[in-house]
Amino acid sequence: MDYKALVQDDRIHASLYTDPRVFEDEMERIFHRGWVFVGHESEIPAPGEYVTRRIGREPVIMVRGKDGAVAVLVNRCMHRGTLVCTAERGSARTFACPYHGWTYDLGGALIGVPYPGGYAALDKRAHALTRPARVAAYRGFVFASLHPDGPTLAEHLGAATRLIDRSCDLAPGGEIELSAGWVKHHCDANWKMLPENDSDGYHLGFVHAALFKTVRTQYQRVLGDERTIKAVVRDWGGGHIEIDWSPGYETPFEWLGGVSGAAVADFVAALERRDGPGAARRRFMEGPAHALIFPNLFLGETNIAIVQPLTVEECVHWHTPMFLKGAPQLNGRLLRMAEAGMGPASFLMPEDLVIASRNQQGLQARTPEWLLLSRGLHREVVDDEGRTVSHVTDETTNRGFWHHFRTVMSEP
Amino acid sequence: MLSDSDYRAVEDFLYREARLADEARYADWLALWTDDGVYWVPATTAPGVDPDRHLSHIYDNRARLDTRVKLLQTGHRHSQEPASRMRRLISNIEAREAEGGEVVAESNFLIAELAIQAKHEVHWWVGRATHRLRRVDGALRMSGKTVVLINAAEPLPNLSFLI
Repeated sequence: MDYKALVQDDRIHASLYTDPRVFEDEMERIFHRGWVFVGHESEIPAPGEYVTRRIGREPVIMVRGKDGAVAVLVNRCMHRGTLVCTAERGSARTFACPYHGWTYDLGGALIGVPYPGGYAALDKRAHALTRPARVAAYRGFVFASLHPDGPTLAEHLGAATRLIDRSCDLAPGGEIELSAGWVKHHCDANWKMLPENDSDGYHLGFVHAALFKTVRTQYQRVLGDERTIKAVVRDWGGGHIEIDWSPGYETPFEWLGGVSGAAVADFVAALERRDGPGAARRRFMEGPAHALIFPNLFLGETNIAIVQPLTVEECVHWHTPMFLKGAPQLNGRLLRMAEAGMGPASFLMPEDLVIASRNQQGLQARTPEWLLLSRGLHREVVDDEGRTVSHVTDETTNRGFWHHFRTVMSEP
Repeated sequence: MLSDSDYRAVEDFLYREARLADEARYADWLALWTDDGVYWVPATTAPGVDPDRHLSHIYDNRARLDTRVKLLQTGHRHSQEPASRMRRLISNIEAREAEGGEVVAESNFLIAELAIQAKHEVHWWVGRATHRLRRVDGALRMSGKTVVLINAAEPLPNLSFLI
């Protein structure tokens, strides 16, 4: 596949969403070689706690060991390949394969092989559960790469760590906590439509017309007349892309549905104590990030979401509320906001995903072959930090995603 | 133990509620609720889960329930435009008296939903519902409905119809 021909500066080819060969290449080049978000350390606070996930299609366990360190293990018995852990989450002292009883400790070391007389010489040390070649974390976000070579996590994230900081720094305790569990929303569309849609500021008034006609949200005032919109999109490089609503905000907490400071007084006091009133007020104005960390982590303002590819035309959108450590008063509100905004029964995402499904069907047309990617090309600018910035309705974010996609998919 | 006539009234209520939901008769369905109603669809089948600590698919108080219905009534809720064609079967009803003169009715349900908004596929929804019912001005009303899907923790397609 010639990805340089399929992804052009102002258009992309429809087969990128529909061709199973492209999906296979993505599994290899993006989800096997690259850095992929696995989970957050706060999901497994105590030794022995684990969650099971997939990196691309590969099953893994993220587990906290006896020593408190977080490890990622490939969820596949060294003997015959069975999953050694089938629960979605839990607490364990060992992982025992149900097939022939091979047993591994929390670090993946093989500690038990029934009927050992069947092997002349089995070196248990050579049969530990395998681990992704590289695992690294930033502010509790655990990423893994199944390939030993390539950029470090720091190089992969680049300046986009500031997007993660923007969300985490809202927590008086400096950390987010993902403890509410995940809701998973099945999507009948190619996985790339989710990161593209999550960072598309153009669709809201149309896809979400029902909500806009029913309740007043922070987005209505921020959107409005094209010429007066102040919100922007940014391409941070490396496929990391952002919608920044905050230039359009006029009062604190618009990202929290416009609550009064009094309603979240403990949170306000805690952040003012830590940062001082001026810096705290800036955080209350700006709110958390709305950004995609390439390829599968979505910082969805007060939610954290994961994009999980399944097949070329199916994926799953996971979400959980982003609880803020040290803000118990706020977290109940964040929980109810998560239910309103995301998931199959929410007031926003069902519309996004039904449109994605119609998009996937429309792309079955062989002609025209191309999707436009040109919106805003004439008016985007590069800021003094090297980020490309444009009007919030522009496809600067889509281009940022696709241009990085082209780079990693074209590597030898 | 409910009298036969009380049991029959509960059964009638469940069938009527099911039909109004199936037929997208939003205002009529909403009128079945008390003002303090709580509509809960947990995201797990684990018993004893606390909806104030764990994420749910739906945890609506009356105000949010009103919003949910208003969205459907705008004609712009794309995920229910047009409304899914549905029929649900209800069985295994077990009803008992509860505190405050209310009746708690548990039942199994099976919904066939033709999702005609995009792929025209039939989705099957199966689970157990718990209705909390109260007499208001002589008629039964819902003060609570909890719907535990057997696949609550699995990836679900759009659930923007009234379940």
